Amino acid sequence: MSKPKEIFVRLDRCVGCHTCNIACAVEHSKSKNLFEAISEQPTPKNRVYVEWVPPEHKVPVLCRHCEDAPCMHACISGAISRTKEGVVITNSDKCIGCWTCVMVCPYGVIGRHMETRKAYRCDRCPDLQAPACVDACPTQALVYRTADAFSGDVRQDAAREMISGEGR
Amino acid sequence: MVVKQMQYVIIGASAAGMAAAEAIRKLDSENSITVLSKEQDMPYFRPMIPFMITGKKKFSEMMLIGQGPYQGANINVRLNSTMEAVHTTDQTVSIKSGEELSYDKLLIATGSRPHIPPIAGIEAEGVFALRTLSDARAMALRAERTKHAVMLGGGLLNLKTAFALLERGLEVTLIIQSPEVLSQLMEPNDATLIRNALIRAGLRVMTGCSASRILSDANGVNGVFLDDGREVVCQMVCIGKGGRPNVDFLSQSGIRVDQGVVVDRFTACNALNVFAAGDVAVTFNSTTGERIVTGLWTNAVEMGHCAGRNMASQPTEYNGTLGILNATQVADVPFVSMGIVHTSGTDYETHVAAAPKAYRKLVFTPDGAKLVGALFVGDISRAGLYRYLIRESRTVKGIKSSIIKKQLHYGHILKETI
Repeated sequence: MSKPKEIFVRLDRCVGCHTCNIACAVEHSKSKNLFEAISEQPTPKNRVYVEWVPPEHKVPVLCRHCEDAPCMHACISGAISRTKEGVVITNSDKCIGCWTCVMVCPYGVIGRHMETRKAYRCDRCPDLQAPACVDACPTQALVYRTADAFSGDVRQDAAREMISGEGR
Repeated sequence: MVVKQMQYVIIGASAAGMAAAEAIRKLDSENSITVLSKEQDMPYFRPMIPFMITGKKKFSEMMLIGQGPYQGANINVRLNSTMEAVHTTDQTVSIKSGEELSYDKLLIATGSRPHIPPIAGIEAEGVFALRTLSDARAMALRAERTKHAVMLGGGLLNLKTAFALLERGLEVTLIIQSPEVLSQLMEPNDATLIRNALIRAGLRVMTGCSASRILSDANGVNGVFLDDGREVVCQMVCIGKGGRPNVDFLSQSGIRVDQGVVVDRFTACNALNVFAAGDVAVTFNSTTGERIVTGLWTNAVEMGHCAGRNMASQPTEYNGTLGILNATQVADVPFVSMGIVHTSGTDYETHVAAAPKAYRKLVFTPDGAKLVGALFVGDISRAGLYRYLIRESRTVKGIKSSIIKKQLHYGHILKETI
């Protein structure tokens, strides 16, 4: 069985432009259009965050869909489950806004819709070929690959660096 | 050759019991899992029972199996099975109906029951202590002919119940012995925003007093007599005074009980092949090492999970828990309370910031090196990061000012790690 794709972050490539934030919020709006999304109520929320660590580190953070997802086990209403693609999702109808998931998420990536009192997080854009944030990222700091393919890339890059270093 | 099936028996079909059953099933697809429940309903999410009072959710929407991580695959749940005794020498349990079941691995996950204080007249009709779905149903029925309900105790369960009753249009009065609500989860000064939210929502709160007698007539409860001489007319009383582990059936078993069932770091009891998890078990505080009995769904699931793995011969150490680990929203005010938050008269390094709509308290060890507690009221965003730091007992070094200012994000933790 081929493993599902995941969103990986290449920290060295992020320039902190926040394009992913906007693409994410727009994809999770009713209109799916930036100009209309801005005035929608409740305000569409982004589920990817770009944090800044002084002096110059930019860190995109989003739901890791943890293998042993603490939020899923902690949920007191059965609202959080895992799809067969491995995506941990929050069912808004079942969410009762107790925020237990917010309390246990070690990445701090579960947001709260105050208007509707529902928790939300990255759903890997089920309607799209690739998640909106990945598609929008101008530097490919966000990539959508299987874990095997991604670690393969990382190994190859490292090998290339080593070889070019030796050649010098 | 016929290999005899191994029998996993789990007593209790709530958070710990069902989490254990799922964990076992994940590791062992072959052997038989029987979960015994004394309740009449299939397993459900217990924290949701206030919705039975408001009528906002149907039973089918509270059911556990088929939701979240609960598959229920080949897990045999037997209802109406109250435990009589555990016989550890011949590895059997007996049910009140007279039936005996043998086990190869046994989990005690019988949870707790409400503590009922010795108040005169407490057995009157219309006095409730909410624990099960049946309790909630009975309460919903009584609510139909109740104008005013009195809640004894200002803990989280009573607050949630109070809101459910308010939503039904009842008048609700909270009677609290402590000077402030939620005294288990925060100190009086920490609770101002919550107290204000309760008042705004229409709840009446009386502090510093307690019920000395419950009055009743042919229609059940009709009032509460307070220790300060006042009398409150009401048609319903709800007791929220914490819980006590359900261990009575273990008295002859030789299983060690000290308040709750005593277990080692691998959730095992002193009797061979017997484990315990959840509200019934004595666990320990991961920060202080102190032995505690908690009553939290989240803890019960985590411990049940761990016990299940141990039962299925996958040794898994239980890392303990924080004595306080609560998140919820009271009216329009969310809050999270974790770890050590009662700091008056201690030498913990404490940082408090109060704003009109948000309050926070961050508690460090006396030497200031580690975060041991956090309380957020109003703004609880990214609370999990703080829980992680408390739980891991990490030295906070360079990120301390971000913690105090509540500006911590995952980038900080990542940078500290690499």
